[in-house]
Amino acid sequence: MQWFYDLSTRAKIIFSFGLMLILLAIIIVTAYTSITAIKGAQRELVQSGFQSVLDLVEIRSHQNHTRAEMIEMTITSDRSKLQAMAQDIKERTSNINQNVKALMELKKGDHKFITKLQELADTREAYRKTVEEEISLIFKGKNEEARTLGVGDQDNRYNRIRDITYELGKAEEESARQRILQSDQMAKTAALVFLIVGASAFVFCIVVTIVLNKAIAKPLTEITGIAERIAAGELDINVPSTTRKDEVGLLILMFRRMVDNIKGYALTTGQIAAGNLISTVAPKSEKDVMGNALAIMGSNLREITREIIEGVNVLASSSSEIMASTNQVASGASETAVAVSETSSTVEEVKQTAMVSSQKARNVADAAQKSVLVAQVGRRSVEESIVGMGRIQSQMEAIAESIVRLSEQSQTIGEIIATVNDLAEQSNLLAVNAAIEAAKAGEQGKGFAVVAQEVKSLAQQSKEATAQVRTILNDIQKATNAAVMATEQGNKAVEDGVRQSKEAGEAIRQMGESIDESAQAAVQIATSSQQQLTGMDQVALAMENIRQASEQNVTGMRQVEITVQGLHDLGQKLKDLVGRYTV
Amino acid sequence: MNETDVERQRVLKARAAVLAREPEKSGAEGERIEIIEFLLADERYAIESVYIGEVYPLKNFTPLPCTPAFVLGVINMRGKILSVVDLRIFFDLPNRGLSDLNKVIILHDGGMEFGILADAIIAARWISRSSLFSSLPTLTEIRAEYLLGVTKERLVVLDGGKILSGPDIVVHEEV
Repeated sequence: MQWFYDLSTRAKIIFSFGLMLILLAIIIVTAYTSITAIKGAQRELVQSGFQSVLDLVEIRSHQNHTRAEMIEMTITSDRSKLQAMAQDIKERTSNINQNVKALMELKKGDHKFITKLQELADTREAYRKTVEEEISLIFKGKNEEARTLGVGDQDNRYNRIRDITYELGKAEEESARQRILQSDQMAKTAALVFLIVGASAFVFCIVVTIVLNKAIAKPLTEITGIAERIAAGELDINVPSTTRKDEVGLLILMFRRMVDNIKGYALTTGQIAAGNLISTVAPKSEKDVMGNALAIMGSNLREITREIIEGVNVLASSSSEIMASTNQVASGASETAVAVSETSSTVEEVKQTAMVSSQKARNVADAAQKSVLVAQVGRRSVEESIVGMGRIQSQMEAIAESIVRLSEQSQTIGEIIATVNDLAEQSNLLAVNAAIEAAKAGEQGKGFAVVAQEVKSLAQQSKEATAQVRTILNDIQKATNAAVMATEQGNKAVEDGVRQSKEAGEAIRQMGESIDESAQAAVQIATSSQQQLTGMDQVALAMENIRQASEQNVTGMRQVEITVQGLHDLGQKLKDLVGRYTV
Repeated sequence: MNETDVERQRVLKARAAVLAREPEKSGAEGERIEIIEFLLADERYAIESVYIGEVYPLKNFTPLPCTPAFVLGVINMRGKILSVVDLRIFFDLPNRGLSDLNKVIILHDGGMEFGILADAIIAARWISRSSLFSSLPTLTEIRAEYLLGVTKERLVVLDGGKILSGPDIVVHEEV
């Protein structure tokens, strides 16, 4: 039996199932041959035996019908009926011929049967010819002759045909019965063979099953139990050794190795857990997931522990520094509290200042309002002065007009004076002429000469008077011209005055606007300084809050100091803890 | 007002002086002649009144062509056409600026009759012939020729007869 155990499992299974398949094939072949034989026998029975009997019965039937119709024809005179019957006889004759031909085909090998059938065919041929003669006689109306022809030989022929068919039918029935018996026998034999082969296959199957169970299933069950214990974490197990060389043997061998490996890894993991990080794990291969993982884990743990140690050292020193910083911050917070107190007092002072400036701004706003009123008064005055200047201008114009008129009139006076002067001149001439005339008159003209002399004197006087008037008129004209010039200048001065007063009005208006703006600005300043005051109040409040906050800061810093002390202690503790690990 | 008073005083004094002037003694010193005193180019001249028809204001004179420069033109005096002579040019007197020249003295001696220009007619007065001095040596030739004499007051008395009959003043000109 050792050779069987040494076979590989696949070979075992193929061997066992191969045997089973062979048995199954034997059964199938046996069954198939038996069934085929029975089926062939049955088909033969049906084809030759059964069919031939049916054909014979049909032939007989047709023959009987033909005979009956012939007899009927001899006694019938109806032409159409005769026609139909003749047609029917013809059809039946061809049917009989067909049946005979089929039988000939069916029973080709059976000499005895063929000989008989040939005899039947011959007889039938003779019978058919006679029938045709009869029919032609009947159609000719010779019924009696046809009847005569129908008895005797024809009767014999009919009987002969019937006998042959009977005989042949009986022989066929007999042979069919024989064949059924044979077929029964064959079926019995096949069933027996079937039974024997099936039973042997059944027995073989049971044997194979038992053997396979013993060879494969039992050791697998044992290994499963071991695996279950390993799965539960148990590693202190002895896997039994085996000399088997099949898959089961290999499986047990590998299982042993696996358990050994796991034991080795467990040992290493235990060392690592105990803090010995120096031991390394050599993975069995590239694909040794656990070994690789353990190796990486070891190195990672070493790395991490090293970093943790460094981190803890840093943490310890940092916590020391934080402690120092916290002390500084605490002192800073105290200073801040002091500074905030100082700032609060400063804010109070600023508030006072803002209050004063607000008061001042209000005063300025009031003053600006007054200035606005003053500027309005000034503007009104300037407008009035502009109107006055306009009046002066118009009066100056009137004066200038008067003076111009005066000048014109003095011109007229000058003309009049010229005329008077001319008159005096003429009078003078007249006086001279009168004197000449008086001289011409001699002694008598002397008195006239005196008159002429007087006239001349008058003329002289009037001339002198006109000269004086002209002098005066010249003075008047000069004065008039001066007055014209003066009025002209006065006009210009008045125009300048109007322009300047307009400019002054504009200036005062702009000044008024400026003062308005300043007044508004002063009001805004007053409002702003009021807001500033409010803002300063808020700032003071905020400073108070800040002061409280800084005091809280100081308190908080003290708490932080305590916390940092705790942190420092923690760092020392961590340092001790990490010291346990050997890297 | 004061000035006016002073002026008035002056005028009155001048009149008083004129009135207080002693009239010329007649007869004793010989023949007395009446002269008409006139102004010409700021100088005082006089002509015997016997040669004077009348004095007349110069107006509407018509310049005559083709006449010597001293002939100013002709005037229409009450229907008579008279030529007017400018003695300044005739006597070659220096031109001393503008003058009135708006009087005409009509000279006549029964034959000739023409006018001479004068700036102003001053007066008619009597003088004695003996009071006349002979011509001054400074006077130019042509003036000396037509001069009657010069008075103490440096009044140049022209000889009307000579002027009227003088050959120089007659114009014979053909064009």
